This record gives sequence, C-alpha cells and structure tokens, in this order.
Amino acid sequence: MFLALREIRHEKLRYGLIIGMIVLVTYLVFILSGLSYGLAQQNTQAISSWRVDRIALNKDANDSLSQSVITKQAADKVKLTSHEAYLGQTGVVAKAKGQVKLSAQFLGIDRDQLIYRRVKVTAGHKPTKANQILVDDSFKDNGYRLGDKVTLNAADGQYRIVGFTHNAKLSVAPVIYGSLGTWRTLSHLTADFQASGIASTRSTFKAQGLSTLPLSKFINKLPGYSAQNTTFSFMIGFLMVIAMVVIAVFLYILTMQKLPNYAVLRAQGIPAKILVTTTITQALLLVVAGLAIGAGLTLGTVLLLPAGVPMSFNVPLLGAVTGGILLTGVVGALIPVKVILNVDPVSVMGG
Amino acid sequence: MPALALQHVNKVFGHATNEVTVLNDVNFEAVSGEVSLVIGPSGSGKSTFLTIAGGIQTPTSGSIVVQGQELDDISGKARDALRLNRIGFILQAYNLVPYLTVRDQFTLVDRVKPKGNLNASALRHLLEQLGIAALIDQYPAELSGGQTQRVAIARALYQNPDIVLADEPTAALDSARVKVVGQLLHDLAKEHNKAIVVVTHDLRLQEFADRTYAIMDGQMTLN
Ligand SMILES: Nc1ncnc2c1ncn2[C@@H]1O[C@H](COP(=O)(O)OP(=O)(O)OP(=O)(O)O)[C@@H](O)[C@H]1O
Ligand SMILES: [Mg+2]
Repeated sequence: MFLALREIRHEKLRYGLIIGMIVLVTYLVFILSGLSYGLAQQNTQAISSWRVDRIALNKDANDSLSQSVITKQAADKVKLTSHEAYLGQTGVVAKAKGQVKLSAQFLGIDRDQLIYRRVKVTAGHKPTKANQILVDDSFKDNGYRLGDKVTLNAADGQYRIVGFTHNAKLSVAPVIYGSLGTWRTLSHLTADFQASGIASTRSTFKAQGLSTLPLSKFINKLPGYSAQNTTFSFMIGFLMVIAMVVIAVFLYILTMQKLPNYAVLRAQGIPAKILVTTTITQALLLVVAGLAIGAGLTLGTVLLLPAGVPMSFNVPLLGAVTGGILLTGVVGALIPVKVILNVDPVSVMGG
Repeated sequence: MPALALQHVNKVFGHATNEVTVLNDVNFEAVSGEVSLVIGPSGSGKSTFLTIAGGIQTPTSGSIVVQGQELDDISGKARDALRLNRIGFILQAYNLVPYLTVRDQFTLVDRVKPKGNLNASALRHLLEQLGIAALIDQYPAELSGGQTQRVAIARALYQNPDIVLADEPTAALDSARVKVVGQLLHDLAKEHNKAIVVVTHDLRLQEFADRTYAIMDGQMTLN
C-alpha cells in the first residue's frame, strides 16, 4: 500500500489519465446498461406489477397478446378462479383538449378480478364505471390531470381520467386501464368476444383449447422485446470486452514501464511478493477510483435526464459490470507478474 | 570464517564465438572488521564480481559462501532475505526508487523489514556525516549525482547489514567527500565489525583499505 500510494501521488498526471479513461469506460457501460434495462422494463412493467405466472392466449395468436382474441364460447370453457383475470389489449392514441396526443396501450380488465385488485393507484381512484380510466403517470408528466376527458382513437365517446398509476408501461407505451367493454368498443368487437387473454397467478394454470405460456416466454414474445434486448446485450458485451482489453493493456504497459524501479527494489532485497501485491493494490485503487467516479457521473446524469428517458438500474447487472471491470484490473496487473518475478536487478545497474 | 568468500568463480557471457569470459577463476575473501578494496579499470569485471558476490547474478561456475552459507543451496526467497537483512548493496547506478523522497527511501526499508535498522538518531547522525540531512524531502530526480550516491550509501547502511557491497561509491564525489565516505566505511568495519567490500577505480580509497585486490580482465589478485 505504501509504495502503491506514493507512486500514484508522485505520478499524478499519469495515474489521473488512467483513472480518467476508466471513468469514461465505466460511465459508458453504466449508462448503456441503465438504458437497456430501463427500456426492457418499459416493455414489461405493467405485466410485472400484476405478479402473474402464466398467460393463456388464442392458439393462433403466435404467443402475442396483441394478436390474440378469445371468443366468449372459448372463454366459457375455462373455469376462472380468483387467481385468474381477463385481459383485453389494444393500441390506442389518447387525446384530450389542449393536450398532446399520446400513443398508449389500452388494457381492458374486469373490476371483480385479480388484475384490477393488484393495480396500485398513486392519485385518484380505480375506475368504477365503464367510462372511467386509470392511466400511467407519464400522462401526468405530459400535462394530463385528474378529471380530464380523453378521447381514445377516433371513436366516439369520452373517458374520464379518475386515477393515476405508477410505472404502468407495456411495449414502451403508457398503459390505460379501463373496462373490457371499452376494449371491445375500441377493438370493434362484438359481445361475442371475451378478452385478448387470461392471466393467472397459478403456475399450474392451463386453459383448455387455448395456448397457455409461462410469463417469461410471454415477455420474450412481446413485439420487439427480445430483438431490443439482444441488441443491447451485444453492445454491452462488446463494450465490456473492449473496456477490459483497454484497461488490461494500460495496466500492462504501466507495469512494464516500472520494471527498472522493480529491479532496484529487488536488488535491495524487497521480496517479489511485495512488488506483486503493490502492483495489484495499485490496479485495484485505480479501478475502484474510476468506478466510483463513473458511478457518480452516472448518478448525476440520471438526476439531470428528463423523466421520459427510460433509465433504470438493476443491481445484479450493475454488480456484474462492476465486478467485471474490477476483475479486468486485477488481470491486467497480473499479466506481467511473471516479468516482475523474473526482473533482473543487474539490468538497471549500468557500468 | 570469512563473512564472504568466492571460490573458483567464472562468469562467461554470450555463446560460442561471442563468448566473453568476464570473471576467470576468481577467489576472494572478505572478513568482518575489514575493508576489502577491489581495484580495476573500467570493463575489468568489477560490477559483475560484486553482483555475483551479492547473489543478484549467478556465476557460470564456482561457489559463493555468505556467512558460511552456500548461495547455490538456498532458495530465491532466502536470497532476498539475505539481501534485506545481511547485505547492503550500493549499486553503481540507479539505487533509489524515483517516486520516493529521501525520507521515504528509509521508510520503505522500515515497512519491509521492521526490525534491525538504524534508530532515528543514528540515521540523523549518518545523514549529517554524509552531508545530506537537508535533502530529506527531495525526490531522487532533484539530487545531484554525488548527492544521489551519498543517499544510496546511507540507504544501504540504514539496513545495518553485516556485509556492505559498494560499487564505485565515490565515482561522483570530490576529494573531501571521498575522505568522508572512506572514513565512514573504515569506521563501520572497525567499530561495528562489518565486512566492507568496495570495488572501484578510485585510488584515493586505498588508504582506508585493510586489503586490496586488483582485478584485470577478470583475473583477481591479492596485493
Ligand atoms: N550482461 C552482459 N552481457 C554481455 N557482456 C557483459 C554483460 N555485463 C557485463 N558484460 C561485459 O563484462 C565486462 C565487465 O563488465 P563490468 O560491468 O563488470 O565492468 P566494470 O569493471 O564494472 O566496469 P566499470 O568500471 O566501467 O563499471 C565488460 O566488458 C562488459 O561489456
Ligand atoms: Mg561497474
């Protein structure tokens, strides 16, 4: 520690630059993983908030809620318990007088069923009448207020916002909760149709005549979801690999430059073990400092960003990123260990 | 028993046609309480001899015995320990760690070897004797050649070694300083029973030596 700190203190510029580089790399990885996780969440937040395990859809819907409709006839064959709920989904454009148009996902739910019970209200109350709707907080961020009358698509009829709910997003659009009747109207369906799908909290739930899939599979089949995730995963993965190589190479060069110093220390009889621990300590100090500053910058950025930018952080993911960068530091410092151990004190003596 | 002995030591650099014999059947002894001087011209093999004697370079053949212990028989770790605890090296060049102040050069020794070093007042006395007490907070890059050399001497002696191996310790010093350093090494031998080995081409050191060897083209002879 003594040698590690003294050297950093004496070579402020050199070590400052390396820390700066680690900061930039860390910042980039953090921001990117925040964005990717944020976007992923906006695909699924509404669904996650219901805490359901399985979804039943029309067999021909290709596992997609938006492609699925269940007829009344088919729905009647499935006995619902208090663990199941109907769900009618359709994309809408919402508009209120004097407000911007918002693209949203309309979700029709039944007031006597599970999803209705599990939705959390942050302001106002849950809809109790067919013309009432509960909307995601992002409506509020866009200027909508409780009591606003909203038209959905070009359909006649107005719907009153009676409540707001937090983080209700589906396929990166805000969710509007309303009745199944409204869903039918918006989807131009007759009363012969019951819903788009059936959600259940039971992991053993199986709907006869329908295709029942586990939630994880359902989420992966959300339009664009897995494509988006794969893209981000590749980007983060490549970035991590590049970051690792760059950091490791820098630390390697740094160590190689210090070989004459190591030779002096070896001639003085300083055990090789101390030189190796010094090198690793130093690498860790640099990386930890870089990570800390990078995390601070990320936090600052998150605070400054407008609410609309989807950023959210997932502790295991951040932990993996941080751990990866730390590991890189150690590896970069360790690559030249053999050289340190074999450094020839005579090499620097001259004369 | 001599503190340090080299027996039939040969050192050959290079291979085949490029082969250079730098040390040729060198026999040498240094005794505690004495200053042994090895005098030879540039390129005669002095530094090679000294680094082999101190175990930082291995001979092509022959044996080195430090305080009765054959260097060949002990591990690299034990050799490190020997250099740290028993042998003080004053190299010809590049003795100091560039990012440590003079004070920290000594602190480093304390960190690695907490016991057996000079105490604070002995260190102060040594620094004053060598005329470098005022340089304590300087970095090596801020010292002159002669000052660097004197700090290197102080650093090696700070470890309070039984054997001091010095390579041209006076090369950059004026006559007055040569006398100071010569006297210092002489007193160390006499008062503290150290074995001092100095390799040099500086004849001014001769008056402080108990025995003088000459080295010429790798051949060592006792005068
Ligand atoms: N690693 C090496 N490889 C090949 N030749 C070497 C090596 N080290 C030293 N030599 C040669 O060995 C000879 C003796 O070198 P050494 O450094 O021992 O001389 P020296 O007596 O200390 O000289 P000086 O007074 O200039 O310091 C020189 O001819 C030198 O070129
Ligand atoms: Mg030499």
